[in-house]
Amino acid sequence: MTRRLLPALLGVAVLVAIPLSIRNSFFLHVCILILMWTVLGAAWNVLGGFAGQVSFGHAALFAVGAYTTIILYLKGGLAPWWGIPLGGLAAALVSVPIGLLCFRLRGPYFALATLAVAEIVKLVALNWESVTAGSVGYLITTLPPVRLFGLEVNWERKPPFFAAAAVLAVVALLTTGWLRNSRLGAYLVAIRENEDAAEAVGIDTVRAKVVTLALSAFLAGMGGGFYAFYFRYVDPDAVAGIGLSMEMVFIAVVGGLGTVGGPLIGAVFLTAVAELVRDRFQMGHLIFYGLFMMLVIRFMPEGIWGRVRRLTPGARTGG
Amino acid sequence: METFAQSLVSGVLTGALYAMIGIGLTVVFGVMRIINLAHGEMVMLGMFGAFWSQKLWKLDPFVSLLVWTPLMFVAGMLLYRLLLRKIIPGGELNTLLYTAGLSLLIANLALFAWTGDYRTISLSYGITPFRPLGIAIAVPLAVAFVLAILITVTLWLFLSRTDLGRAIRATSQNPEASVLMGIDVERVAMVTFGLGTALAGAAGVLLAPSLYLYPTVGELLIVKCFVIVVLGGLGSVPGAIAGGILLGVVESLGAVYVSGTYKDGIGFVLFLAVLLYRPSGLFGAGR
Repeated sequence: MTRRLLPALLGVAVLVAIPLSIRNSFFLHVCILILMWTVLGAAWNVLGGFAGQVSFGHAALFAVGAYTTIILYLKGGLAPWWGIPLGGLAAALVSVPIGLLCFRLRGPYFALATLAVAEIVKLVALNWESVTAGSVGYLITTLPPVRLFGLEVNWERKPPFFAAAAVLAVVALLTTGWLRNSRLGAYLVAIRENEDAAEAVGIDTVRAKVVTLALSAFLAGMGGGFYAFYFRYVDPDAVAGIGLSMEMVFIAVVGGLGTVGGPLIGAVFLTAVAELVRDRFQMGHLIFYGLFMMLVIRFMPEGIWGRVRRLTPGARTGG
Repeated sequence: METFAQSLVSGVLTGALYAMIGIGLTVVFGVMRIINLAHGEMVMLGMFGAFWSQKLWKLDPFVSLLVWTPLMFVAGMLLYRLLLRKIIPGGELNTLLYTAGLSLLIANLALFAWTGDYRTISLSYGITPFRPLGIAIAVPLAVAFVLAILITVTLWLFLSRTDLGRAIRATSQNPEASVLMGIDVERVAMVTFGLGTALAGAAGVLLAPSLYLYPTVGELLIVKCFVIVVLGGLGSVPGAIAGGILLGVVESLGAVYVSGTYKDGIGFVLFLAVLLYRPSGLFGAGR
C-alpha cells in the first residue's frame, strides 16, 4: 500500500509545486499541454490498452466535448467547471450508440468503423452551422470573473489552467488505476486476450466494451472541454481531425498500452518532441511521431512505461 | 438526363482508378491479413513521382508509369522484407498501429520535402475534353481509365494463369494448407506486398493529372480505399473493382444531387452500413 501511496503523494506534491515555483509562462504552458495529453492518452488507453479495441476516431469524442463545453459557455453562460464535466458527459452519451453499432465488429474492422464515425462527426460539425458555426468555429473572448479564497482568478495567466489540467489528469489516472483493479478491468483484459473465450466464460462482452467506451469518451470529452477553454477556439479542423486521433493513439502506444502511468510518460514524450521540433519546422513533429510509433512497436511493444516496469524487480503490481 | 449521364460516366472513370487502389489493399489483406494504413501514402508517392518526372525530365505522366510501377514494386518488397516481416507475427493490431506510424512518417516527410502546396499537372492534351455522344470526357482521365483497365486485366491474368499468381490466391484462401502444399508463403507475401504497393503507385501516377497533388492527399484516399474494399469484401479482387466503381459513381452523382458538403458523407454512411450489416461485403465474398 505504501508503495502505491508514495508515488501518488509525490505526484500531487509535484503538481502543487510546479505552479508555485515556476514563473516562466512558456514552461507552465508545456506542463499544461503534458497534463492535457495525459488525459487524452489515458482516455484512449482505457479502450485501446485495456480492452484491446483500437480506435482511430477518438477525435470525434474530443470534438463532442469541446463543442458542448464551448456552446454551453457562449450561449448559456455556463462556467468552465460545469461545462467541462458536461462536455465529458455529452461525449459519453454520444459514444453509447457509436459503441453499440461499432462493437459488432472486431479488431481491424472496428478500427475502420471508428475512422468512418470520426469523419462523419467532422462533416456534421462542418455542416450543422446553426449549432456548430460550421468551418468558422467558436471563439471565446472573455472568461467569467471568479473569486477563489478571496482572490480574483486571473485568466490571462497560466496557473488557473494548470490547476484545472492537473485535476483532470489526476481524475484520468485514478480512473485508469481503479479500472485496472476492478472486475470490469479483468473483463477487458479477458476480451483483449481472447474475445471468444471471454464470451464463453459468461462475460457480456458488448456491455463491457460499451461501458468502457463511455468511460473513455467521458475522459476524452473533458479533455476537449479543457482544450476549448484553454485555447479559446474550436473549429472542425482543430478538434475533429484524424491527426488528433492519431496523437492519442501515439501517446498510449509509446507510453505503454494497458498501464496506468503510460499515458503520462507518452504525453511527456509527445510534448517534448513537438516543442523541440516546432521551432525548426512546423509539422516536423509528426515525422517523429510516426517514426517513434514504428520503433516502439518493433522493439518494445509494451511501451516505455511497460518496459520500465518489467525491468524493475517486484514492481508487477505497482505503477 | 444529360447531367445524369455525364456524372455517371465520370463516376465510372474515376471509379476504375479507385478500384486499382482498392485492389492493392485487398490483395495484401487477403494474403497477410493486414490492413496497410500507409497505402494512401503509396498512392501519394506515385502522384508526386508523376509530377516530378514531368517537371524535371519533361516526361509525360503516363509514360512515367513505366518507371514508377517497377520502382514501387521493388520498394514494396523491400518494405515488407526489412520492416513489416518482423511486425506481422505480433498480431493484426500491432501491424495496424505500425502502418499508421509509417503513414504519418511518409506523409510528413513528404510535407517537409515538398511543402503543403497544392500542385497540378498540366498537359497539352488535357485542356479540351472530347465529346462522344455529347458527354464531355477529360482526355487524361480517359487515358488513365484505359490504362487502369489494362493493368487490372494483366493482374487478373497473372493471378489466374501463372504459378506465382495461383500461389498468391492459394495463400489468400488458406495459408496453412498452402505451406503444406509446398508454397513458400514468405516469398508470396513479399511479392504480394510489392504488387499492392505497385498498384497503389501506378494508380497515383494515373490519378495525378486529374487531382490536386499535396503530401497529405493519402489521408483522403485511404479512407476512400477502406470504403471500397469494405463494400466489396476485404480480400476480394472482383469486390474491390465493383466497390471502386460504385464509390466513384456514388460520389459523382452525390456531387450533383446532394447539397452542401454532406455529399462527402455518403461514402461513409454507405461504408458503416455495409460494415455493420454485410461485413463480408455487398457481394458476399469470404471474410
